[in-house]
Amino acid sequence: MKIVGKKFPRKAISVLFVGLNRLISAFLAIFLVCSLAGCGPPSGSGAASPALKTFHFAMDQAPTTLDPVQGANIYANFVIVNAYDTLYSYQYLARPYLLKPNLAVDFPTVSADGLIYTFRLKKGVRFIDDPCFPGGRGREVVAEDFIYSIKRQFDPENQPQGAWLWQGRITGLDEWKAAGSDYAQPVSGLRAIDEHTLEIRLTRPYPQLTATLAQGYSALVPREAVEKYGKGLGVRPVGSGPFRLVSYDTARVVMERNPNYRQEPVDLAAEGYNPATQKFSGVEAIQGRSPPFIDRLEFNFINESSASWSSFTKGDEVQLTVLPIEQIDRVLASKRPVTLRPEYAAKYHVYGGLEAGFVFTAFNMDYPEFGYNPDPERERRNQALRCAMLKGYDWEARNHSWYFGLGEYFPGIIVPASPEFDPALSRASVTRDVAGARKLLKDNGWTPDNLPTIVYGTTAGTTERLFFEQFRAWMRDIGFPRAKVVQKTYANFGDISRAWKRSQLPLVAKGWGLDYPDAENTLQLFYGPNASPGSNDANWKNPEYDRLYEESSVLQPSPERTALYHRMNQIVLDDCVAITGISRTRIYLWHKNVIAVPDREILGGFWLKYVDLKPEPANIPALVKGG
Amino acid sequence: MEILQYALRKLLAGLPLIFGVTLVSFALMVYFGPDMTYQLLGKNPTPEQILEVRHQLGYDQPFLQRYLGFLREIVTFNFGESSTGEPVTALLAKTIPVSLILILPGFILGHVVGLLLALAAAYWRGRWPDKLIMAIAVIGMSVSFLIVIIGFQIVLSSSDGLDLFPVRGWNASSLGSYLSYVTVPTLATMFVALGYDTRFYRSVIVEEMTRDHVRTARAFGLPESRILLRNILKNCLIPFITRVMFSIPQVAIGGALLIESYFGIPGIGKATYEAIVTGDQPVLKAVVSLTAILFVLVVILNDVLYRVVDPRVTLK
Repeated sequence: MKIVGKKFPRKAISVLFVGLNRLISAFLAIFLVCSLAGCGPPSGSGAASPALKTFHFAMDQAPTTLDPVQGANIYANFVIVNAYDTLYSYQYLARPYLLKPNLAVDFPTVSADGLIYTFRLKKGVRFIDDPCFPGGRGREVVAEDFIYSIKRQFDPENQPQGAWLWQGRITGLDEWKAAGSDYAQPVSGLRAIDEHTLEIRLTRPYPQLTATLAQGYSALVPREAVEKYGKGLGVRPVGSGPFRLVSYDTARVVMERNPNYRQEPVDLAAEGYNPATQKFSGVEAIQGRSPPFIDRLEFNFINESSASWSSFTKGDEVQLTVLPIEQIDRVLASKRPVTLRPEYAAKYHVYGGLEAGFVFTAFNMDYPEFGYNPDPERERRNQALRCAMLKGYDWEARNHSWYFGLGEYFPGIIVPASPEFDPALSRASVTRDVAGARKLLKDNGWTPDNLPTIVYGTTAGTTERLFFEQFRAWMRDIGFPRAKVVQKTYANFGDISRAWKRSQLPLVAKGWGLDYPDAENTLQLFYGPNASPGSNDANWKNPEYDRLYEESSVLQPSPERTALYHRMNQIVLDDCVAITGISRTRIYLWHKNVIAVPDREILGGFWLKYVDLKPEPANIPALVKGG
Repeated sequence: MEILQYALRKLLAGLPLIFGVTLVSFALMVYFGPDMTYQLLGKNPTPEQILEVRHQLGYDQPFLQRYLGFLREIVTFNFGESSTGEPVTALLAKTIPVSLILILPGFILGHVVGLLLALAAAYWRGRWPDKLIMAIAVIGMSVSFLIVIIGFQIVLSSSDGLDLFPVRGWNASSLGSYLSYVTVPTLATMFVALGYDTRFYRSVIVEEMTRDHVRTARAFGLPESRILLRNILKNCLIPFITRVMFSIPQVAIGGALLIESYFGIPGIGKATYEAIVTGDQPVLKAVVSLTAILFVLVVILNDVLYRVVDPRVTLK
């Protein structure tokens, strides 16, 4: 049966198209209204003028705030150390990482007892121009700004995250907080001798103090900005760093050159330049010139690796990215050393950077099933159980499954990025020995029936599930029944952190990034008094270890201190308190017109002010203008 | 006047709905949602610092007090500051317009093109154009939105594909740049929406076309365009309106979330995604409230539109 007549479509569709035209017109009207109302970015904030030297790069996550008082993660620090000044920073090219003065004139003068540090600040450094200052002109940075900024870390109103670095260390600071964090009240251990001289008095020697003053937490914030913007400082940094913020949203951060940034010509030798390994990057071009060299920085937050890769390979939409794991076989010609296939080598530079940190799994010793137990015999058997699990763990497989086979797994908790790392340490604890593990279990009376159930906590997600399945497979190899290795999932990192801090998980699988290049930063993870909710998630308490930690914690870097570190490391290994560890390798790719040696460790973006772009024919006039 | 009275009555009737939605979602957030405490603590916290942060976040307050505070925030439309320190209202004012101009083209074109394809499929019902359109519709419905997004990105934007548009980013400062950034998200949205919309519209149109009054109208010799507009499409308007109206909240929140995340567009969807990931409760509370209010408004508007298109509908 024919239902519709032949004339139906032509006229009917023409009528419909009239309606469609109206709809499109209405949409365009809405667009124009939105544009006028400011839906799009303000002029000059969104798209960079082609005349500007702009460096676009990808990061896998956005910072949650730009306020140094909460600058806890690498993503926030990428922006913070470029918007603000810290007294110290790290040499651009030196690996292992080496401190250098930044806002400080030089390294501090330290009293003989190691308790009084005196710092000299550079003169004539100014905050960026901002309405928070009288007349809108940035004033000079002075020693009182440092004192104010450290006080902010001890004011609970700010929800500070960096206080742990100085807690119990600086004279009078904890008392100042206990008295109500009144900024009008002085702190006996923080004194501005004059506008450019600062004195810090310590309760006990703290050799890492100078390194803590390179961290974003210690960035100098002007009081005027805090008083004017309050919590809004988290989206509107007012600092004296090489760049100033233009815009910040969930998709990207745009910064532009601070036109008043101090003139400090680059001395590549002082930045730790190694021609043998770094000449390819072209960094010699910045010798003798004052950074920053680019006009704009664009941080693009791209969580999806496919989008990041497409943006990177497209042209100059993103000029620097971390190589996604799924592209590795397509892009790399070899892994050791990391080299690119010819078609990629023609366009990009590559660098495999070892993580300044590690991934490990600690046994929570609060659990009597394999930790501390009132029965000494059981506790002895528990230690054997832990050691057997260490033997059963397959670091090589993990490295190949998850880190391109490029990670560096090592015994103990002193990571390769620490100057105190001992490459000669026996690798027995990271070498898989299934037979040895089975024998150890058998010799100590462990059978499939009496082995305890192991609860492996992870955040929810496919990758985490695969981590667990791999772990379970290894444990089954040494004799654990399948049902005795179980996964417990948490919705997000905050939830699993809560479980760790409340000592509610038997196994703590986590990563730790170095706050400063000193093995103390990882050794403190097993210091007894740091037990939960502190950083010692293993809740391990070894009197000898704790004594050595306390002894070493007041020593300046020296062979004597390194020897103590190594003894502590060995105690951790002997007690089999953690399955440890691996430092991952990130492979950075960047376009050949970019002059840089990228990194994301320790401080995040401390190297961004040294980035330059090679002149290209179309850009030459702009480069001449931009300097 | 009758419509206004009806809208006001429905708005009042919608208050318990908003109340219920906010209560349930707030309870879920409090008891099962992310705990920001441990994300805001430093690396080596003391028990005192944990208590301080919990106090700062208001976690130490009784549930009822926290919920009343939430209601106050809704009434005053002041949701405090997000974890970045930015006022949530400022964040919404910044992100919602971006999402609107991002989603609108795909939303409008999806429905319009879906309707046109449905008309064509209905006209040639059972023949190859109908089968072809329905096959494409099934593909649109079957393929994951995520795959569609990645596929469109690779095909239209990447250097491995046609390289016609930016892979990601956003700039609506001029019509030209806006069109270059909005095209691929729009096509991806349309591709998925077309599947559902075309099938739905086709089935409604086909059903209407077979009714007696259409056959009668045709027997009277009325022009086909008139039959289409007055006898078929007009009678289809009630299900059409329902379809369009109830896809608004879904598109505004769910669609924008994926699209904005993959295309790096700073709209409300991406802000919501980040808030979920980081446990930014002030933002989540604002989004939940707005979604509930949007649903109520859609229901009211939906009923009012019924009345507009069909005078037989009584607004009681």
